Amino acid sequence: MKPGTKLKSAVCDTEVMVIRGGDVVVECGGSPLVEERPAVRGAITPAFADGTKIGKRYVDAAGTVELLCVKPGQGSLSIGGVALKLKEAKPLPSSD
Amino acid sequence: MTHVMKGVRVLEVAQFTFVPAAGAILADWGADVIKIEHPLRGDTQRGFINMGGIAVDKDRNPLIEHPNRGKRSVGIDVSKPQGQALLYEIAKTADVFLTNYLPSVRQKNKFDVEHIRAVNPKIIYTRGSAYGDKGDERNVGGFDGTAFWSRSGIGHSMSPAELDGPLSQGMMAFGDSIGGMTIAGGISGALFHRERTGEGVELDVSLLSTAWWAAGANITQLLETGKTTRNSMPTSGGSARNPLMGNFRTSDGGTINLCMVSPTGLVRDAFEHFGIPQAADDPRFADVHKLIENAGAASDLIVKAIGSKPFEYWRQHLKTMKGQWAPIQSLQDLTTDEQALANDMLVELESADGKPFKVVRGPVQFNHEPLKTTRAPQASEHTESFLMELGLEWDRIESLKASGAIA
Repeated sequence: MKPGTKLKSAVCDTEVMVIRGGDVVVECGGSPLVEERPAVRGAITPAFADGTKIGKRYVDAAGTVELLCVKPGQGSLSIGGVALKLKEAKPLPSSD
Repeated sequence: MTHVMKGVRVLEVAQFTFVPAAGAILADWGADVIKIEHPLRGDTQRGFINMGGIAVDKDRNPLIEHPNRGKRSVGIDVSKPQGQALLYEIAKTADVFLTNYLPSVRQKNKFDVEHIRAVNPKIIYTRGSAYGDKGDERNVGGFDGTAFWSRSGIGHSMSPAELDGPLSQGMMAFGDSIGGMTIAGGISGALFHRERTGEGVELDVSLLSTAWWAAGANITQLLETGKTTRNSMPTSGGSARNPLMGNFRTSDGGTINLCMVSPTGLVRDAFEHFGIPQAADDPRFADVHKLIENAGAASDLIVKAIGSKPFEYWRQHLKTMKGQWAPIQSLQDLTTDEQALANDMLVELESADGKPFKVVRGPVQFNHEPLKTTRAPQASEHTESFLMELGLEWDRIESLKASGAIA
C-alpha cells in the first residue's frame, strides 16, 4: 500500500487514503481493499460489519498501518482477521 | 449559493469558540478556512465532556460544529521549528491569519505578526483577545464568561439589584458567538481596504470590546448623566413612563412583551387588541404625553386585560396589532418558529456519524439564499490531503511526521 493513494472496499462504500502502509493486505468487510471496485460487490462478512466513519483514522496495534476514511461504509477494517483500531486526538478534558 | 469570500484563504491558529466562530462565518461565506490544531490533542474544545452540565457526544459536539463547520483541519505542532516552517508555507498562500493565542505564546512559537508578515507582508493579521492587545493585561486570557459577561458590566446590568448576587451568562458561547461575527465583519472591511490600497492591516477584537459595544448606549448615558439602569425584577406591567413597554403575564403564566417605544398612532389599536377599546377614549390617555403622565393607570388596565386570557390566545390574537410586541419564547419554541424557519435560520448538515445535525446560520444572509455547509472536520482530518494540495511530496510529509511537526 503506497502512502497518499486511495483504496476502496470491495464490499461496501468505504474509501480510504493510505497514510502509512507497508506490504500488508488490509480488508474491509472481510475482503481485501482494492484500487477499483468490482462491478459486482461481494458480501460483507458479519464479523467485520461495524462500519467506517468519515474523517476517522484507523491503525493496527503495531502502528505500521494508518488509513484515513474518506468515504464511510458498512464494513469495518482489519488485517488478517484482526480489527484495526481508531486513532483519535486526545483533547484536554474540559467541562462547565 | 453566493460566496462573497470565494478565493479567500483563512489560516486559523485558534481554539475554543470566539475566534474559531469568525472562521466559521467566513467559511459560511465561501472562504477556504484551514484550521490548525495540535496534532495529538486537537482543539481543547473537542475535550468537552459536558456542555452546560449536559453530556456531549464527541462526534456530535455542538461546541465543535457551531464554530468549525465548513473548515478543513490540519494538525501541526507549532512549537517545533519544522511545524513553524510549515505554518509559514501555508501563511504564504493565505489572505487572513486568525489567532486567539496570547502574545507570549505567539512570540514563543514564532507566529506573531512580525513572523507571519515576514513571509506574507500583505496578510491581514487578526487577533482575538480577552481584554485587548494593548495595556498591561494584554497577556491575560479569558472566556466570554469572564471578559464579555463578568468584567464588562453586562452581568451586573442584567442582574436585578434585589437578587442575592449577579446572574451568570447562562448561555454557552454567547459572547463568543457575537464576538466571532464581529471579527468576521472587521475582516471584511480589512479585505476591502487591501483590495483598494494593497495594504494588509492588523485587526483586534476583544471580548471586552464586544461587550462594551453591546452596552454602548447605556455606557454613553452613564457618562453623560451619571446614571444608568439595571435590569428590574420580573413584574407584570408597563414601565414607569410608558405603559406599552414591559412584560405582561397571561392567565396561564406565559408572558407577552410589549415594546412600543414610540406609541404615536398605535395606542387605539393596542387598546382594541387588548379587549379594552373604551380606554382609547379615556381622556387620561388621549395623547402620548397624557399616556406617559398616566402610565400607571394605563398599565393597570393592560395587566388586567392580558391577565384574563392564556398565552396561546395572545400569541395568535396580537399578530394583527400594529405596535411592537413579542411572545416570550424559549429556545425550544424558537426551533419551531415559522418566521425563523422561513428565513432559513437552521441549516442541516451531515455529522461525522452520517446522521443529520442542525446548526444555526450566521445573522447575515446574501441574496436570500439558504446556507449550505458541511460538518466540522475531525481533528487533523485534512493534514495529508491539504499538504499534498499545497504541493508537498510524500517524502516531505514523512519527514514532517518523523519530526513530530505533524502526526
